[in-house]
Amino acid sequence: MKRNSKFMMDILPGIVIALFSIGYLSLIPKIQTFTGMGSTPLTNHFVPALWGGFLLVLALWLIVRGLRKRAAFLKEGGKIEKFDLKAAFDEKREVILSFVVLTIYVALMDAVGFVPMTILYLFAQILILTPTSKWKKTWLPALICGIICAVLFYFIFRMKLNVLLPQGILKSFGL
Amino acid sequence: MLLEGLMAVMQPVTIFLIAVGVAVGIIFGSIPGLTATMAIVMFLPATYSMSASQGISMLMALYIGGISGGLISAILLNIPGTPSSVATCFDGKPMADKGEAGKALGTGVVFSFIGTLIGIAILIVLTPVLCDFALKFQAYEYCALAIFSLSMVIALTGHDMPKGLISAVLGALLATAGLAPIDSKPRFTFGLFQMNNGFALLVLLIGLFAISEVMAYAESVRKDQGFTIESNAKIKGAGFSLKEGIAQIPNAIVSSLIGVGIGILPGIGGGVSCMISYTVSKNTSKHPQLYGTGIMDGVVASESANNATIGGAMIPLLALGIPGDACTAMLLGGLQVHNVAPGPLIYEKNGAVVYAIFFAMIVSAIFMMLFMLLGMRFFIAVLKVPKNYLLPIVLVLCGIGAIGNANMVFDTYVMVGFGLMSYLMIKSKIPTVPMILGFILGPTFETNLRRVSQLASSDPFYHHPIFCVLMIATILVVIFSVRSNLKEAKRAEAEELAAEAAASAAAKTE
Repeated sequence: MKRNSKFMMDILPGIVIALFSIGYLSLIPKIQTFTGMGSTPLTNHFVPALWGGFLLVLALWLIVRGLRKRAAFLKEGGKIEKFDLKAAFDEKREVILSFVVLTIYVALMDAVGFVPMTILYLFAQILILTPTSKWKKTWLPALICGIICAVLFYFIFRMKLNVLLPQGILKSFGL
Repeated sequence: MLLEGLMAVMQPVTIFLIAVGVAVGIIFGSIPGLTATMAIVMFLPATYSMSASQGISMLMALYIGGISGGLISAILLNIPGTPSSVATCFDGKPMADKGEAGKALGTGVVFSFIGTLIGIAILIVLTPVLCDFALKFQAYEYCALAIFSLSMVIALTGHDMPKGLISAVLGALLATAGLAPIDSKPRFTFGLFQMNNGFALLVLLIGLFAISEVMAYAESVRKDQGFTIESNAKIKGAGFSLKEGIAQIPNAIVSSLIGVGIGILPGIGGGVSCMISYTVSKNTSKHPQLYGTGIMDGVVASESANNATIGGAMIPLLALGIPGDACTAMLLGGLQVHNVAPGPLIYEKNGAVVYAIFFAMIVSAIFMMLFMLLGMRFFIAVLKVPKNYLLPIVLVLCGIGAIGNANMVFDTYVMVGFGLMSYLMIKSKIPTVPMILGFILGPTFETNLRRVSQLASSDPFYHHPIFCVLMIATILVVIFSVRSNLKEAKRAEAEELAAEAAASAAAKTE
């Protein structure tokens, strides 16, 4: 099992990075170049092409290395286990939920406002990072923590330090 | 002029402003996402009504406090408060995990102070000489310096070279987004005006370090563990013995000199200096295998280098009007607000202000050490805050820092994107640290490579001895690093095979 995951650590990232670098390289011809006076012999395509090409080579290196490890693993009589998506999701439940609430938080912050979204985010994130057995004792402190932090940060950073935190619905109250 | 400068700083109001500046700077530096640059930006309007000496002294205090404060969150939370503290995490956090948080903080504070003083001493004594040297750096030299610094990545990658290189190249590749250098044509902006300036280093750092820290904790929620990290609360003096401190002095001096040298070169700030000094310290150490496991040497190298960078970065700023990094760019604005024109004539036109800056830096360094040593117990107390509460609050502050960077909510989307990328990289065992080096050095390399391409026909490379020396040094670094990495890879493979054989033998016995 250990070796199984080891070669997958090379093959999967290698494929993702190779696809990313191909996508990146395909965008380079669309970049406008400057050919007027003062232009450089190396255009603004050169360095992106250099990095993109280098990344593709490294990704292929990773894939080949992973495939070699896989072949060696099979030769030793190893058995490749099937990937269980449901089990993986369950194992990483808190991580996935954390990314989901964080994405919702930043996506709605502009429209709804910093204060309400921060209260909701802090409440949700604190609960996610707390074992479910302790939720009964945690939900009220989490809510209070969310409200205090959101209001305090808004007051300090928006009102006193002029950081443009989104007002959202508070705009209608003139805050 | 010297006395005039001293008198200006020794005024009670100025000393009070310096103390406030240092305290605020430390707080900004310690909170991930809030940097010394942000503290200077926010307090710049507050200095408008002050005299030039008072205003600039306060900005200097914010700068020194901000750079120094980064070590607190780097050690206690494994999240660098500022880019300058990235390498402090490598040994600072393992020390805290071993119950030596006080020792790590004490080491960081004392050697930050020493690094700052070495930087100031070089700033004062060697300014004219070093300025002449920095003036010799042109496109060829910068290009070679970027290549040399990128070659250091190979030394940082350990036994898995392709993954380390992927990380560095990915960083350099991300830095190509935004307006291209020299011709300012948009690249990879997807029509979004928010992308014209490319990705901000600060936003990248928040995504890489802060979000991944929260996710790492989220993974362990169901495991049987407490919410607090145990730390050794019994601290005497600076947290380490005199003997231990004296043993670190050569390391601190070498690291400070590296910090000053890199600080002088525009565009390469504390973020790179701490990484390079850490690598140099590791490679020249008698026990390189202990680096990253929680030893003083790593913290000393990083902290003395990043604070010495302050003195180095001030040299081209004062003598040439060229800012070394984002902080000194803000300070340049501060000097201009107070009608101080940096450049070769600054000593003649504003000599008193220049000396006031030197004295303000020394006073700020003293305040920084006092505040941080006296507040050490308070900073260690941060560890006792339940992490399920602390980490989301830190993440909200990071979000505020990302928004405040350019006053754009868009940067929080980028922050989450980098956070996801960082998490996937960690899961794939791709190191994230080389990415920072690639991200910082990529644009320097590209700008100067393109300039070199213009100059090559009329000004061949062999007319540039510094370029030649740096390129030879690069070749040597690559050869030695590759050899060392291959040896390490073989050793790791042998250890793994031995462990597997032992495990299978144990299974058969059962």
